[in-house]
Amino acid sequence: MKTSKKLAIALPAILLLAAFWLTRPLPLSSSDLPEHTPDAVAGERMFWAGGCASCHASLVDGRRAKGDDKFQLGGGLELDTPFGVFRAPNISPHDDDGIGNWSILEFVNAMQRGIAPDGRHYYPSFPYTSYARMRVEDVMDLKAYIDTLPAVAGRIEDHTLGFPYSVRRGIGAWKRLYFDAQPVVDVDADNEMLVLGRYLVEGPGHCGECHTPRNRLGGLLTGQWLAGAPNPEGEGRVPDITPAAREIGGWSARNIAYYLKSGFTPDFDTVGGSMVAVQENLAMLSDSDREAIAAYLKAVPPVE
Amino acid sequence: MHKSTVRIALILSAVLASTIAVGSDDPAHERHELMEGVRDAAKPVGAMLQGELEYDADRVMQSLEVWAAAAEEFGGLFPEGSEGGEAAPAIWEDRDGFDAALVEWRNAIAAAQDAAPATLDEAGPAIGPAFKACKNCHDTYRIEDE
Repeated sequence: MKTSKKLAIALPAILLLAAFWLTRPLPLSSSDLPEHTPDAVAGERMFWAGGCASCHASLVDGRRAKGDDKFQLGGGLELDTPFGVFRAPNISPHDDDGIGNWSILEFVNAMQRGIAPDGRHYYPSFPYTSYARMRVEDVMDLKAYIDTLPAVAGRIEDHTLGFPYSVRRGIGAWKRLYFDAQPVVDVDADNEMLVLGRYLVEGPGHCGECHTPRNRLGGLLTGQWLAGAPNPEGEGRVPDITPAAREIGGWSARNIAYYLKSGFTPDFDTVGGSMVAVQENLAMLSDSDREAIAAYLKAVPPVE
Repeated sequence: MHKSTVRIALILSAVLASTIAVGSDDPAHERHELMEGVRDAAKPVGAMLQGELEYDADRVMQSLEVWAAAAEEFGGLFPEGSEGGEAAPAIWEDRDGFDAALVEWRNAIAAAQDAAPATLDEAGPAIGPAFKACKNCHDTYRIEDE
């Protein structure tokens, strides 16, 4: 009786400690960073590949920014999802309201571990789950590039989420279940184009975040990689882009590369919806980067 | 001889289409059909620009004529009360902006016709703005039809 009473007190405490331990943030330390001098010019490629501006550029008249307005990274885009409303924060190099005074290490931990400078977990609405697959050097270059952009004043309101999603610590458990920085698709390691395409799609491009369906907890169903999913921002679907796709599966690699460059489908329809912003970013990459993306998309497992 | 016959046929069909459209009481359907014609005319030009089809200056000029006829007529197919389809509410909320986008489209086509690109190298810069005008207008004034 006495023992069971002790246990009744001790067990919840032990479970709580275990949960606390299991959900703790696991940041990188400065010794994990490679010897690398960040290169802002190289970082611009990652800025477009990563699509930073699509969520973080300040809205213009309530709409996504176009053209040079994409360099004003004051944040504000809202993602209205089944978990609640996520709001993209200010990532301009403003010292107080943006990320101007972040160290390279803090930036790398945000991008690749999903951990804020104050140690809290980020929600995976920020696709660090994909950015974790980037080369650390590329992430360091990206920070150097963002530091060259205009500082924008003003903070964005925090996310509005329902319970239990509002408990940030829970993301630690989520990360243990679903956060995996390994490549998703096996490609021939000697095929440089495929390796580059996989890197751009699975890493900075974070295509899988919208084109792959999720389970009820928001974990990606990698067995249906890029096979299409409900639109996280509202009605309709994000299309299947595997070779089995009804429409896009019939596109040649050249068609895909041209679409990403010009915004025109092989039927000469124009890109629509959320993909407009993505396409306009990818249009800023080199032809060889787009060709690599296209080659990879023709090589991923077809999903019916 | 043969090419000019094709050209006359194309112009005639465009004129005929516009006559039908004026008499139509279903502008939503008419504007959809008109856009499909524009798209069909764009396909060979796009294939040439991608290097999938040999460059044919006459065919490009034919497509530009189809576009020019469509661009003249398109703005008249959005009367009050014809909302719907892939037409965004923004067309009626911001008619001036929509009209400006149509002017941009018409001007880009006219410039391409004036340039009359004879080679593939000339075609890209000459026709590019017209394609860009398609995309710009769609970004604001077209919605996905579910």
